[in-house]
Amino acid sequence: MTDLMTDLTPITALGATVARAESFGALTITENAGLGLASLALRKGQSAPQPFGLPLPAVGKAVSMGDYAAFWTGRDQWMIEAADKAEVDFAALLKAEAPDCSVTEQTDGFTAFEISSTQGPAPIEALMRKLVNIDPKAFGAGQATRTGLEHMTVFLIRRSDDHLAVIGMRTLAGSLWHALAVAARRLED
Amino acid sequence: MTRLTGGLIDRNAPLNFTFNGKTYKGFQGDTLASALLANGVQLMGRSFKYHRPRGVFAAGSEEPNAMVELRTGARQEPNTRATVTELFDGLVARSQNHVGPLERDFLAVNDLLSPFFAAGFYYKTFMWPKAFWEKLYEPMIRKAAGLGSLSMLPDPDDYDKGFLHCDLLVVGGGAAGLAAALTAGRAGAEVVLADEDFALGGRLTMESDLLDEAAATDWIASVKAELESLPNVRIMTRTTVFGVYDHGIYGAVERVSDHLAVPGDKVRQTLWRITAKRAVLAAGATERHMPFADNDRPGVMLAGAMRAYANRWAASPVKRDSDAIAIFTNGDDGHRTAMDLIAKGAKVLGVIDARDAAPRFGDYDVYAGATVTGTKGRLGLTSIEITRNGQSQWHNVGALGVAGGWNPNVHLASHHRGRPVWDDTLLAFVPGPNGPAGLIPAGAAAGKGGTEEALTDGMRAAITALSEIGVTASEIVLPKAENMPAEQVAFWHVPGSKRAWVDFQNDVTVKDIALAHKENMTPVEHLKRWTTLGMATDQGKTSNISALAVMAELTGKTIPETGTTIFRPPYTGVSLSVLGGGDTGPLFRPRRLTPTHTWAEAQGAAFVEVGPWMRAQYFPRAGETTWRETVDREVLAVRSNVGLCDVTTLGKVDVQGADSGEFLNRMYSNMMGTLKVGMVRYGLMLREDGHAYDDGTCARMSEDHYVVTTTTANAGLVYRQMEFAHQCLWPELDVQLISTTDAWAQIAVAGPKSRALLTRIVDDFDLSNEAFPFMACSELTICNGLRARLFRISFSGELAYEIAVPARYGHALMQRLMEQGADLGVTPYGTEALAVLRIEKGHAAGAELNGQTTAQMLGLGKMVSAKKDSIGALMSRREGMAADTRRLVGFKSVEPQKQAMAGSHLFAEGAVQNMSTDEGWLTSSCYSPHLNGYIALGFLENGDARLGETIVAANPLEGQSVKVEVVSAHFVDPEGGRLRD
Repeated sequence: MTDLMTDLTPITALGATVARAESFGALTITENAGLGLASLALRKGQSAPQPFGLPLPAVGKAVSMGDYAAFWTGRDQWMIEAADKAEVDFAALLKAEAPDCSVTEQTDGFTAFEISSTQGPAPIEALMRKLVNIDPKAFGAGQATRTGLEHMTVFLIRRSDDHLAVIGMRTLAGSLWHALAVAARRLED
Repeated sequence: MTRLTGGLIDRNAPLNFTFNGKTYKGFQGDTLASALLANGVQLMGRSFKYHRPRGVFAAGSEEPNAMVELRTGARQEPNTRATVTELFDGLVARSQNHVGPLERDFLAVNDLLSPFFAAGFYYKTFMWPKAFWEKLYEPMIRKAAGLGSLSMLPDPDDYDKGFLHCDLLVVGGGAAGLAAALTAGRAGAEVVLADEDFALGGRLTMESDLLDEAAATDWIASVKAELESLPNVRIMTRTTVFGVYDHGIYGAVERVSDHLAVPGDKVRQTLWRITAKRAVLAAGATERHMPFADNDRPGVMLAGAMRAYANRWAASPVKRDSDAIAIFTNGDDGHRTAMDLIAKGAKVLGVIDARDAAPRFGDYDVYAGATVTGTKGRLGLTSIEITRNGQSQWHNVGALGVAGGWNPNVHLASHHRGRPVWDDTLLAFVPGPNGPAGLIPAGAAAGKGGTEEALTDGMRAAITALSEIGVTASEIVLPKAENMPAEQVAFWHVPGSKRAWVDFQNDVTVKDIALAHKENMTPVEHLKRWTTLGMATDQGKTSNISALAVMAELTGKTIPETGTTIFRPPYTGVSLSVLGGGDTGPLFRPRRLTPTHTWAEAQGAAFVEVGPWMRAQYFPRAGETTWRETVDREVLAVRSNVGLCDVTTLGKVDVQGADSGEFLNRMYSNMMGTLKVGMVRYGLMLREDGHAYDDGTCARMSEDHYVVTTTTANAGLVYRQMEFAHQCLWPELDVQLISTTDAWAQIAVAGPKSRALLTRIVDDFDLSNEAFPFMACSELTICNGLRARLFRISFSGELAYEIAVPARYGHALMQRLMEQGADLGVTPYGTEALAVLRIEKGHAAGAELNGQTTAQMLGLGKMVSAKKDSIGALMSRREGMAADTRRLVGFKSVEPQKQAMAGSHLFAEGAVQNMSTDEGWLTSSCYSPHLNGYIALGFLENGDARLGETIVAANPLEGQSVKVEVVSAHFVDPEGGRLRD
């Protein structure tokens, strides 16, 4: 692995030097610019490894353990998440954990917006009802899915009852933030 | 004032509003219609065709007459039903469809001309001469017809959408709906209860019936309180469920702030998509009328509506309290209205009952075996003619209620082509057995309209619905209700020679139906279209069954034999704004921004939409007056120095696995498996039918790892095609695919000084031609340790590279390259210059890969390898395709400053220009600053053998004809020496 010491200054998906965070009543939306992402896919006939000790989850599920987490994205395919690993070559770290698997760097393929509630699950579920055609009651903690949101494709991860992550395409970050923020603001009324 | 006592209005909350400029007073809880009635206003509008004076006819969403233009300015909305418009302070309404004042409509002349406006009038009259239709007839009809007018201003309000999931959706919050919701709510099921009204209770709020010997409102309030306390129940008032769609999906519009003067911070309406495991249709019933002579005067209304106005809104239907009210009925229900009016202190003339053995339930006159055979009153009812045993007598009345029986609201139950079935006992159509799966009709909507039976039926429906999804619900204790007498006879209309209206809004009379019958338009579908019956904004809710009955009588058939029209969504009108979800202007669709977007903005770039992408089109500098000037400068900078262009939009697919080479061999027509590690190859992909699909590059990063690039436009399609092939065609191959388009910022560094520039940012990397030749690729680090990928590929024909870094560094990399290349004349360029450069080089792009061209036409026939199979290879060799002799060549305008437009067709000089002499077309065209003249690319018959010939590019749309010389498509460096330097 190469720890980057580059003299180039990165920008976040929303085009700023610091991650954006904004509160709307009980809800706070935070741009998680530090999240490292890499995809892991099994080659033919391989059995699932346990990178960073993570037991790779089944269809529609997410798991987390300390700074690492994983969610199912397709048959024999997962996205592995690592807190505060966006500035390093996280794909290389993952490849070292699962050298026989296909690993692809995805950190900057996506933007992660973490939505948390100070008043339990209700505000999170109300927000979901305005944004995605997913039944919040059937999408509890530990569930993950891919769905459409305002014509965009996103991953949803219910990290806990009062915490939903929306991971969308990085180049659509502005539109995605706008969609989330408008819906959250309207819930304040 | 004709305000009665009682009612569910808040007399402590008075509201002012205006109608046709005059100010009136109403109360919180009023509708516009009830407030107007309470102010003695009967005349509310004019009819569609004959401009007849009309008053309110119903008390709900079925209203055909009382349509107004509501609000002012950009919020002005035509065709708004006064009966469902909640009164608010400052409400402004105007009547519509009249020229001059409402009382003296100049277009009322149409009524005198009515013999000429018979059924099928438009079809019969405006057919000749043909040319008159567009120029004269249609504009004339449009001006005269139509109801309200539009503001012609953009809608200022916000609209929203949302998604709900539930076990049980209850449509309608009347007796049956409340019982269903309470039963399901107590059972713990996820329940959504929707009602179009602003108050729960449905008909219960409009009747005087007692529940458990107390006012029905007491029970409604207690149920509402309990439902509100249940976290599994969502009550949605002001919400109309307008349609049933596949798989248990229901469309609903919530009118969030239509009851407010302005929405303020709120959205105006929300479109809800409700996914329900089961639904109970408790939509109630709509009363029908019985057509008789001149039955359309203001003051004639449905008897049930009259009762509703009296009970719920304390409004009397007459202009003056001293005016008497009569009821015309074919059953017991009309008598209920008389009783309720009397109880409220209104003056009742009596009940005209078509039955010979008419009952009497109270202290009022009964005209048994009688009918109403005529009315008088120009702008409002003044008298009616009652005929009994051939004897007629005129009576002064100010209002007449008509009670012809109730039609279950079967609309939603017929949305999946579920045909309603006739019930001879009820004399009505009820929902049939083949309606939408999972939708259970209950209460009045199922023909069980008595209060007690509706309550029980709602509970039963909920228990049945839940048991089907494995939820056990118990019976609940329902309030005791009295089922009112509901005997009636089949009496449909009063025969006569005068006009008797069936469909008020579209001015369809019994005579029109008779004419349709005479002209053999007897099937109900023909009847509807010939007479326009049921085709107005109310969709004939109060008229369809009466019309069927009249037609049945004329044909001598029964009503079920005559048929019934079924209903499509929406149940009531839905605004396009709410269907659109409020996404307008720049928010119409999501925008993809490249990693250098903010940098390009800061440079003052002009942007262009490329699919969802916003791309920099060109970068104007101070003093440049035209875009061409800018683009020419950018192109020349690339040809002479070095240019930078963000090409992140090109699709990137990461292909890994032991069989990735074989997989790409099958996807691309040329050989990819033999590509050496560290090299890039241009690839051509064909469609299944053999036409060219997409071009791109495959870079082999290691034995089992390729990075594939696609065109910007086809990035998603190619990735999808690859996934399809991987998952469905060749699942046996060991291949893993994932898109990485967004992950990497990719910048083209093009021009003779590109190597010099890159040398300044790479960390210890040998860029010499020997170490890193044309079509090489490598991973490397730049700018002190940033991981990057470098590809030596060229779209411009110059020495060029594309460099990729993690997207978050794209912005900084662009800045760094600009700083480092200042002395080299580094210049950012946009998509316009990119296009000029590639046309000058003869590279195909979207215009050439348009789905109608082949590899051979593109001059790439040899790329379809015969040594292996690939998608489309076999089909590309079929006779018709292989014989196509059109070839991609270049064109130079003979007069260099004259442009031949892309899309022009090619003809021999002097030839007649038509399809048979067509020799091809121009695909791309631009000004070449390199050649100081206009050039183009295009497909020409045997083009490759006609270099030097002069032909004509014709653009008949613009009357253009430009002479062009056929040349090689490679205007710049045809030998390709520059890109290999």
